[in-house]
Amino acid sequence: MAEPLPTLKKLERRTQDMVLTYDDGSTYTVTYDDLRHACPCAKCAPMRNEDDTSRTLRRQIEALPAEKPTVRTVGKYAVSFDWVQGCSSGIYRYERLHDLALRRDPDRGKPYVHGAW
Amino acid sequence: MRGWVEVGLYGGEGMADSPVTINSPGGSSAPPSNDPTPQEQKQMEQAYAQMKRKMAMEEIGRKIKHKIMVLSGKGGVGKSTVSTGLALSLAQQGHRVGILDIDITGPNVPKMMGLDGRRLHVENKRIHPAEGHLGVKVISMAFLLEDEDTPVVWRGPIKLGAIQQFIGDVEWGELEYLIIDFPPGTSDEPLTVAQSLPDIDGMVIVTTPQQVALLDSRKSITFSESLKVPVLGVVENMSGFTVNGTTEPGTTLNVAGPGGKTLTATADSDGRFSVTLDIFKQGGGQATADEFGVPFLGALPFDPGFVRGGDDGVHRIVSEPDGPSAHAFANVVAAIQAQLSDGADSGLEIV
Repeated sequence: MAEPLPTLKKLERRTQDMVLTYDDGSTYTVTYDDLRHACPCAKCAPMRNEDDTSRTLRRQIEALPAEKPTVRTVGKYAVSFDWVQGCSSGIYRYERLHDLALRRDPDRGKPYVHGAW
Repeated sequence: MRGWVEVGLYGGEGMADSPVTINSPGGSSAPPSNDPTPQEQKQMEQAYAQMKRKMAMEEIGRKIKHKIMVLSGKGGVGKSTVSTGLALSLAQQGHRVGILDIDITGPNVPKMMGLDGRRLHVENKRIHPAEGHLGVKVISMAFLLEDEDTPVVWRGPIKLGAIQQFIGDVEWGELEYLIIDFPPGTSDEPLTVAQSLPDIDGMVIVTTPQQVALLDSRKSITFSESLKVPVLGVVENMSGFTVNGTTEPGTTLNVAGPGGKTLTATADSDGRFSVTLDIFKQGGGQATADEFGVPFLGALPFDPGFVRGGDDGVHRIVSEPDGPSAHAFANVVAAIQAQLSDGADSGLEIV
């Protein structure tokens, strides 16, 4: 958490994934399935606490029809994604998106308990 | 008054612990009749009341322009002081403001707003808020208590029913801002409000500068991510205590500050000096905000006037509208308003 976070400059939505471009010139691709599986909402996050429920969540997400989300910024610190189907409840802080971009566990290995990691 | 409240509280849907048993085992053996049984009648009335409340909540969502939740991870950081301060500071700007005190077990807002011992006015089954300083409308559990020493001992579902009633059955009228003051922690109450009240603008997280409080406010921030309520920012309360005094002009004073630090102050040409003691350390609110990338809304000084004002029912902002605390609140309010107006301007290009 202490490491400096580059600023996300551009979020390009494609059919199956999105391309994130940061101000340090780095570019990453994050699939919508990975994004949705990392949803920080109170319903999805506890499902990632156990391997089998995490797989269930993954299967539920993969069964959803492919769609491009509506993306909105939340204040100056986060982004939210609205989907026609499936969960749209989570607010993704830029740090979480960056973790996903770097293929890191955005929960930092911590279980979700009562509204927090 | 109390009778009506209790009927309403027990009538909410989905209350597992409700004392009302909906399905009576003896109901099926009753002779068939077109007239509804008293049980059915009651169920219909409850369903109707629930539907009406839901509609009322949607209407409230439209009539109140900005809804701001005030939360903290830890108790005793001054949430109610900050809530009332924000409300009064907004009212000073000429806005129509309301405070909803959701802290059912320890409602303090009425005392701070000079509304101690006030009863609520109920007309046509709608609760009319009490009006405190600067016309701020106040709804609090304290108004329903027989006396202030009586605790409210309610289990979760009943408490949540009361909150829904506080949201849905109150006649707020048109408001620019509604400040919602919560009990400490990340529990049922903010969840219920976030799910019941549409279009909440965001939450303000109150903290004090020390590590323990900061740890808990971090929880509040991650909590907000799971509720889809944006964080408007972090306010650091009890930030520093400023001592003012007079001595010979030009005198340099050494003051033993917290943490073994020696603070130096020099008196000006009139002999006035001031030195700020960071009783609970310094800058923690800013550090938490930076760490999470949420806005830092400002620091509020440690002002013993708040304690006196809280106890006397005359808020510091009312008794000293141009004092340092009133200015600090005005700065926090300006920072919140900046968040409300340009929240979308994050420089991110979405294609």
